[in-house]
Amino acid sequence: MTTGSSLLQGIVVEEELHLSITEICQACSIEEEHIHAWVSEGVLEPQGRSYTEWRFSGQSLRRAKIASRLVRDLELNTPGVALALDLLEEIEGLRRQLQSQT
Amino acid sequence: MEYQDYYKILGVERGASPEEIKQAYRKLARKYHPDVSKEADAEKRFKEIGEAYAVLKDAEKKAAYDQMGSNWSQGQGFTPPPNWDSGYEFRGDGNSQDHSEFFESIFGQRAARGEARNTQFNLPGEDHHAKIEIDLRDSYLGAERSISLTMPTMDPNGRMRMQARTLEVKIPQGIRSGQHLRLAGQGSPGFGSGKAGDLYLEIAIKTDPIFKIDGKDVHVDLALSPWEAALGSSVALPTPTGKVELNIPPNTMAGKKLRLKGKGIPGKDPGDLYAVIRLVTPAANTDAEKEAYKTMSQVFTFNPRENMQGYSS
Repeated sequence: MTTGSSLLQGIVVEEELHLSITEICQACSIEEEHIHAWVSEGVLEPQGRSYTEWRFSGQSLRRAKIASRLVRDLELNTPGVALALDLLEEIEGLRRQLQSQT
Repeated sequence: MEYQDYYKILGVERGASPEEIKQAYRKLARKYHPDVSKEADAEKRFKEIGEAYAVLKDAEKKAAYDQMGSNWSQGQGFTPPPNWDSGYEFRGDGNSQDHSEFFESIFGQRAARGEARNTQFNLPGEDHHAKIEIDLRDSYLGAERSISLTMPTMDPNGRMRMQARTLEVKIPQGIRSGQHLRLAGQGSPGFGSGKAGDLYLEIAIKTDPIFKIDGKDVHVDLALSPWEAALGSSVALPTPTGKVELNIPPNTMAGKKLRLKGKGIPGKDPGDLYAVIRLVTPAANTDAEKEAYKTMSQVFTFNPRENMQGYSS
């Protein structure tokens, strides 16, 4: 880790990032079994056929992070996580609409 | 250091059962969860609640906490008595940066010593998360931002220390609100030969008084006088990167959106900028102004309430 003034260049997660299952687990500090459960529930939709080939987009990463926090903090089960995420996204969409109209 | 009254934070009596504690925690956690709640201090409250529950749900921690007695009040100055915690064993639970100084002094150091024993293993470092606010203009042009973060780092003796550091970060052109930048290797260092974690920066674009952002498109209200709208004109339109001359075609109606293609947030597939037309009518004060309105009323056959015809009053 550096403490300096050199300019750091990041990558935009939502556009340039494609994570393997190991990477997404690390980013969310969550066990693989949760990721498997969320994929089969349709919470996350990775590309690739088998789980060794799965590639998660940045959008999936965002959903997985919220899901991980909901599981950790509120002990939600998989269908609960799926429902909460869909509702949160709907609220976010409505808020955006409201904001662009006022 | 301030005493934390964990019972008061969860709103339960000192003699509350584990079931009651859990129920109180769940209720508050749902209310203040930062992913769900829009309360202004949600994040702070949620951390307090989490810390209180981490102690009160754990029989060992609760016993150690209860042993300090109930004569303290929330926020009171606090110094732990010597050897107060002998005979209790705690495990570290990861998110130590989120805990109060009070919690750290009681449960933190033992937790850190516990982690230090793991140094012979190779573990990747934790990822870190932070939020950064930028102006819309920064997204249009790209920018460099200096951000200050306080991060837990491991000192050579294996103890967690909070360390302030400043990073210079390039904000790429075209980044949108809610997107994240990943800075590889800028999280916690790994243990052994484990690689360092990453730093994730969430981008938030400040709300602007005139520009409204919708994904990669940007909307701006443009007020016109009736004659500018009816006769057509050329007006100066502010954009996030400066003014442009906008041609208003004759008979432009209120609510019409004039699209400036590709003038939204830039990128491979750039967004558009929309000027949303609003009509502003002047008050008639002088005789000449009143005369002008009268002339209009004589010249036009115009019923602004056409859509209300057929409704009786």
